[in-house]
Amino acid sequence: MASKYIIDTQAVPNRFEVLTQSGIIAWEEGCLKCPVCVKKQCVYGVYDNRDLDIRQMIDSLDNQCMNCLRCVQGCPKELIHKSINPEYEALGDSHWTPYVIAKSWYQAETGKIPVSGAGYSGPFSGPGFDSMWTDMSEIVRPTRDGIHGREYISTGIHLGKTPRHLTFTDSGDLDSDPSFLVDIPLPIILRIPPFGSLGKNTIKGWALAAKKLGTFLALPYEMIDEEIIAFKECLIPSISPAQPYGDDGLGGVRLIEVLWGKNWKAITRQITETHPSAMTAIRLPLVGGIKETVLSLVNSGVSIISLEGTSNGRLVDDNSVFMRDTIRSIHLALVEHGIRDEVTLLVGGGLSMAEHVAKAIICGADGVVIDLPILIALECRMCRRCTKELPCPVEIDQAASSWVASRTINLLGAWHNQILEIMGAMGIRDVRRLRGEAGRAMFFEDLDRNTFGSLGEVQEGYELE
Amino acid sequence: MSQTSKENKITLALFYCQNIPESGKQDRQSLEEEYGKSIRLFPIPCSGRLEPLHLLRALEEFADVAYVITCPEGECRYFDGNLRAKKRVQRTREIIESIGLEGERIGIVMNKNSKSLARQAHEIMENITHLRPSPVLSPHRAQQEKGEKRDNC
Ligand code: SF4
Ligand code: SF4
Repeated sequence: MASKYIIDTQAVPNRFEVLTQSGIIAWEEGCLKCPVCVKKQCVYGVYDNRDLDIRQMIDSLDNQCMNCLRCVQGCPKELIHKSINPEYEALGDSHWTPYVIAKSWYQAETGKIPVSGAGYSGPFSGPGFDSMWTDMSEIVRPTRDGIHGREYISTGIHLGKTPRHLTFTDSGDLDSDPSFLVDIPLPIILRIPPFGSLGKNTIKGWALAAKKLGTFLALPYEMIDEEIIAFKECLIPSISPAQPYGDDGLGGVRLIEVLWGKNWKAITRQITETHPSAMTAIRLPLVGGIKETVLSLVNSGVSIISLEGTSNGRLVDDNSVFMRDTIRSIHLALVEHGIRDEVTLLVGGGLSMAEHVAKAIICGADGVVIDLPILIALECRMCRRCTKELPCPVEIDQAASSWVASRTINLLGAWHNQILEIMGAMGIRDVRRLRGEAGRAMFFEDLDRNTFGSLGEVQEGYELE
Repeated sequence: MSQTSKENKITLALFYCQNIPESGKQDRQSLEEEYGKSIRLFPIPCSGRLEPLHLLRALEEFADVAYVITCPEGECRYFDGNLRAKKRVQRTREIIESIGLEGERIGIVMNKNSKSLARQAHEIMENITHLRPSPVLSPHRAQQEKGEKRDNC
């Protein structure tokens, strides 16, 4: 058996102070000078080790506080209040919430799974992937032996067409060509994010991370220069039909992606001729009626299709529809036509947490493509200042490539462990078996219908008492 | 970064209570676009959170002028945070005057008419145009100009 795939992580400190939720308002005026001040009783010594980060005026009071509220409750003159740090609240948007961003920072810093304490106090369900739950009926298994225990849980997938059957020569040797499959040990491919204050070292760092992780980094063809091409076996150059493409030193690249556009066919043909050993993938925007296009592409022999939703996880042509159900319908259509194994389906856009990887696969993807999480791993605050040519508050373009690589590896290491946890709890030991296993998941709409459907429908304008 | 039209020679550190009107992320970024490096904005949970140390450190490190915008008197969510801020600004002024800096380098605006962040910022910017670059920062500035690009860390 192949050796176990384990991602080595190591704590990599932040370059800037992180933003935390806490906003302590502690006043001196009116102090009674109690013999033992509540501030002295803080078990974390928050008030004793006070410091100020001048670059961003971040007070260590906020960053060290563990939100136990002991000091707030204890001060007899009520001089201590707790509020929410406005800088924290302003992080990201409604999809990339401050919580998601802060937890990603933690994972990139430590390489560890974030633990939020006992119990879950959030809402029962939410939009998109938050309205689906995975079956955890086998949860005793990983706890008995740990996720890295005796039972090996494989997260490897292959990219390309699985041969329907093998053929052999008269002498008994394998006749079919196995070279048109590429294995990656993790169902995750990295992609350069749509925005970000990126420097040369950022790109290099991500390429280095892809190499160490054994996966790929997809990047626009124009971004490839002499330094980056050194990582060719783990790069996926993305070629846009709108831009001229000539042969360009992409020799040795294993996978090339062509963006959907009028002349994608001509470009694909050109690539197959100039780089016969490289596989080609087609990247399509995830829109409502994409199913038919996917079917026809697979029927015409395309073996890797990458579907890209918006950065908030919805369809490109309809911001009210989450990509979850569209992926399911594409997967099922491929199954119905008996061509599911002729193609590798990659899905990207808005995947912000490890659980989204598992959920996208349950909906029918083979693997996922992530972009913004690898930027957030570098302390990005999703402020989008860079899109307006304002300076990046965390100077991402100045970070060294080794730092970029280690932070990205840490994030992916934590995600890998979480995927193992989910699969272990489901009793699934190969991520390829997870694909399309919707029967092992529950969907809010189904539960709602099954539980309350018999009660009839609430008419519009009718108030429940 | 592109040089914006309103970019000043001096830098303003502007602290503001998060409860003042139109002071969200977008408003903040529009101001940054308008003034470029001449403005540094720091939203705080309550103006009473501000301490002399914040103002002094800002003057010491990067700002020629430091201001704070608070809610109108009697309207602080924490009752008297803005009054405390006022006293602290006064105290900080005395400190900088005692070392020979102009007291005007530190100021407070108690947002009486509930003006937006942008309007307040414009008014403050107008008020401080007559000030010279801070002598405290001269050595810093000379250094920065010499080695503007920092090494990779
Ligand atoms: S809330 Fe708790 S941890 Fe935070 S400063 Fe007060 S006593 Fe310390
Ligand atoms: S922190 Fe803001 S400016 Fe920097 S890369 Fe992220 S979105 Fe862009």
